[in-house]
Amino acid sequence: MVGKDCVAIASDLRLGSQSLGVSNNFEKVFNFGHVFLGLTGLASDVTTLSETFRFKTNMYKMREDRLIEPETFANLVSSTLYEKRFGPYFVGPIVAGINSKTEKPFICGFDLIGCIDFAKDFIVAGTASDQLYGMCESVYEPNLEPEDLFETISQALLNAADRDALSGWGAVVYVITKDKIVKRYLKSRQD
Amino acid sequence: MAQTTVASEYSSEVHAEPIEHRFNPYSDNGGTILGIAGEDFAVLAGDTRQSEGYSIQSRSMSKVFDVGDNILMSANGFAADGDALVKAFQNQLKWYHFNHNKELSIHSAARLTQQLLYGKRFFPYYVHTILAGVDEEGKGAVYSFDPVGSYEREQCRAGGAAASLIMPFLDNQVNFKNQMDPSSNGTKKKELRYLSLQEVVNLVKDAFSSATERHINVGDALQIVIVTKDGARTEYHSLKKD
Amino acid sequence: MFLTRSEYDRGVSTFSPEGRLFQVEYSMEAIKLGSTAIGIATSEGVVLGVEKRVTSSLLESDSVEKIMEIDRHIGCAMSGLTADARSMIDHARVSSVTHDLHYNESIGVESLTQSVCDLALRFGEGASGEKRLMSRPFGVALLIAGVDENGPQLYHAEPSGTFYRYDAKAIGSGSEGAQAELQNEYHSSLTLKEAELLVLKILKQVMEEKLDSTNAQLASVTKEEGFKIYADSKTAEIIQELKESEIDED
Repeated sequence: MVGKDCVAIASDLRLGSQSLGVSNNFEKVFNFGHVFLGLTGLASDVTTLSETFRFKTNMYKMREDRLIEPETFANLVSSTLYEKRFGPYFVGPIVAGINSKTEKPFICGFDLIGCIDFAKDFIVAGTASDQLYGMCESVYEPNLEPEDLFETISQALLNAADRDALSGWGAVVYVITKDKIVKRYLKSRQD
Repeated sequence: MAQTTVASEYSSEVHAEPIEHRFNPYSDNGGTILGIAGEDFAVLAGDTRQSEGYSIQSRSMSKVFDVGDNILMSANGFAADGDALVKAFQNQLKWYHFNHNKELSIHSAARLTQQLLYGKRFFPYYVHTILAGVDEEGKGAVYSFDPVGSYEREQCRAGGAAASLIMPFLDNQVNFKNQMDPSSNGTKKKELRYLSLQEVVNLVKDAFSSATERHINVGDALQIVIVTKDGARTEYHSLKKD
Repeated sequence: MFLTRSEYDRGVSTFSPEGRLFQVEYSMEAIKLGSTAIGIATSEGVVLGVEKRVTSSLLESDSVEKIMEIDRHIGCAMSGLTADARSMIDHARVSSVTHDLHYNESIGVESLTQSVCDLALRFGEGASGEKRLMSRPFGVALLIAGVDENGPQLYHAEPSGTFYRYDAKAIGSGSEGAQAELQNEYHSSLTLKEAELLVLKILKQVMEEKLDSTNAQLASVTKEEGFKIYADSKTAEIIQELKESEIDED
């Protein structure tokens, strides 16, 4: 979700196998420098991809001698996913970050084969995506300050997750400004 | 099954295989409905778009009805079944008046609706039904039903195509779910209170414009029916037509 | 063909040339042979009282049932061929429970009475092809007492299928005298307590045997308590009270 000179990215903490809850500390947000990646979907693909991107962003850092920027990373995600066009990773990725040079917030989402969805307000993914669309579309407003953006994204996630049987079991929120990253865990319903 | 002979354009190629034809008695006509109960009123709202697949059949089809006795009813899903249910209800209501010579209360209307729905347990009305009215104590009431008659009285309920988009918003804004009392530093839940009619109408409008934005089967116009002990009144508002 | 009156007697649903249904009229005669039953409606509730004919000292008086519950809020007293009342009460109970199932509310007393009276005419075929259920009209009349949103009410249902609402009504062998007495004594501000005493007082006057708790039974329907048949001990207390008040008057 984009605010005024800030972005936020959040996920729930549930890992489940259909209706069976397996873990309540499965974070789905990863960062590579100042770029954040949210990954929902098949847990093994989430882990595999996050490790792949760790590898690729580290290689990028060594070759380029600088951290990868959000826009660049988005294209890396896209091409990585499309490589597996006919045997895809079952994931719903989203990217969020602030470009360190332009200081512009950036967010985008993808389908499972890498088609990029650029947005200037919010991106949602996962089993509760319908609920998230409904929440975000109605509570979001542009140019929020970081603290307000935190409240907005938290309310959107919490209420959406509560209406989805496969989401919840805690949540984590990152609010990213150009020189500070705040990570908070949210208390939520445990059912 | 009858063996049918299908001749292709190549007359030498003759296939002998059974062709299955199957009549599908149901379709999805989209649309979304929403009911909210207030202290002494209730609202039932619905969009007026009726669609089948990707095509729009009507941009101005009402689906919220004042069925009499200060009861609002809407059955969203398969439009033909929804209409049939409303008609069946109105018919039953007439008979109730003949036989018992008094008004049907909202809680009796809810039970009657269950009986009508469950009566077709093995060939159901393919609809999500919501009733709205004012109860015997004068309080706003909303009842919601699944297609086979399981029902519950609630403060608010969204039904139909965009129910999953609207419902979490309602939890948050009507029942104050996940909201805290600001002065308690996160130790106390925000206390429940009745919303005013203006607040409710604004929520309904926000819910529908949001749903319209993200759902292809929702849009065109919004019909809001407000019921109090003094009767029902209807408002129309436009929604995006794309 | 020459038709004697007795030929009209045979067909239960055949009018006589004078426009009478003899079998139905005879059925009402059967009630006049029955034991007396009295009902009084007050603003606090309805009281029912019946005479039980205990014909032998060997007869277990508890087994004579002339007041029955239809639902929590409705009860009835009967007079005539009480066996016929079984099917009427069965029907009434089904109607009441079905109404509750369909509408999640208690059935109105008038609606309930109507549904019992619908059954009373089923000795003939229905206009819309309903089966003929019975070979003859019912030989029993009911006093239906109940409370609904319109307050306490008392109805009298006859074998002819007609029903009327009464403030106070007596049926059965002693009904003539009892009804006259009710006419004298009834007033709209009667309390439930006064109605209990009045019912017993009138029963005492019209009964051949001496009134006691084995040959009389009381019941009431109130908004608070619903339908209650009084225990014999409670009936005995009220009889005692009645006796004392009569002594006072002398």
